[in-house]
Amino acid sequence: MPAETHVAQGPIGPDEVYRILRERLAEILEIDEDRIKLESSFTQDLDADSLALIELVEALEEELGERTVGFSIDDEDLGDLRTVQEAVDYVVARLGS
Amino acid sequence: MSTQRITVAVDAMGGDKAPGEIVRGALDSVSELGVDVLLVGQEDVIAPLLPDGGHVPGVALEHAGEVVAMDEDPAAAARRKKDSSLVRCAQAVREGRAQAMVGAGNTGATMAAALLRMGRVRGISRPAIAVPIPVPAGTRHQLLIDGGSTVDCTPEWLAQFARMGREYARTRLAVDEPTVGLLSNGEEPGKGDELRKRAFSLLEKVPGFNGNVEGRDLMHGTVDVVVTDGFTGNVVLKTLEGALRAAVELVFGVLDSTPEAKEAGKVVAPLLLDAAAVFDPDLTGGAVLLGVDGVCVISHGSSSARAIVNAVRVAQECVESGVVVRLKESIDAG
Repeated sequence: MPAETHVAQGPIGPDEVYRILRERLAEILEIDEDRIKLESSFTQDLDADSLALIELVEALEEELGERTVGFSIDDEDLGDLRTVQEAVDYVVARLGS
Repeated sequence: MSTQRITVAVDAMGGDKAPGEIVRGALDSVSELGVDVLLVGQEDVIAPLLPDGGHVPGVALEHAGEVVAMDEDPAAAARRKKDSSLVRCAQAVREGRAQAMVGAGNTGATMAAALLRMGRVRGISRPAIAVPIPVPAGTRHQLLIDGGSTVDCTPEWLAQFARMGREYARTRLAVDEPTVGLLSNGEEPGKGDELRKRAFSLLEKVPGFNGNVEGRDLMHGTVDVVVTDGFTGNVVLKTLEGALRAAVELVFGVLDSTPEAKEAGKVVAPLLLDAAAVFDPDLTGGAVLLGVDGVCVISHGSSSARAIVNAVRVAQECVESGVVVRLKESIDAG
């Protein structure tokens, strides 16, 4: 059964997820946000290693979890998220589920 | 002057000799150092090891149901095992229930747990372990950074390690202007693999940079801070350990080889053993994980109670001297 969810500060759409993801990823990788595009590959374009991606996941869970109770990212799905676009789509889908 | 006692969270389940030696070391720390200890681990395992039914002044017990094994994937363990003693220690620091943590378990997982729970110092991409190396003929230790935290590094990260190592050396080695060397396979600037060559030009902007150093410069105090990636650093540490053990076996083999040598050994052996104490890892006091937003001291896997006391001592010194704040200020200042 899915975890209880509710929207605390209005719906979170793809643009908002992209903004949050870029912001957090830029902090983690210590790079300029402008380098992060939707089509960017985490590993090939941004040099993000597995630890950086786990940092990102934890940061997203913390921030989005405050707005959508029960939001979490499944570890098993991490390997399938190769680009920023895929991650945004995944998070939006999880938020809506 | 603040009279508040420092609380150090100790991972009671981490290390080859856990929990017995770890708990004993934690108890000794309270009486010897005047700190409070938060022992974190499986309550049913730890509680019987405490005297007086567990009612020990200065000692609190926090239950953690899970244990991170030495061979577990570091990042996965730190993320998934949120009820582990290791992650709970880092969480205690994050929440301010402890001012520092000490662990003797899985090094990579300790780094990952500290990074995920405490966060990073802004301007630092990856944490690094600063390991004090004895210099027998010198007046102070050297610092090797990174001793095994971050195996695959970029040139930029090595430059960050240099800045962190230099700032920490001011506290740990009490040097005003520490010198820095890049570990390579030759002293000339062009020596080394691509990582070393690219890092060299970045390190030239770091104050105190003296150029490349070689493996033979370790334990000789050529520079105060030796910078390398975590893979090389860990190999170097294990190599030194093995070489020192072989040297000791060689010397004591000679002193046992003939009747005359045995007579000489009666005089020399005690002196040599005293001198060799400088290499005892239990007395070093653990290595500090630099770059995370809190104090995390990593003790070696086979830590005895004495090693834990010395690791807690280092944690206490780091808190009292404000190492993390100083590091942040130093990195912010560029």
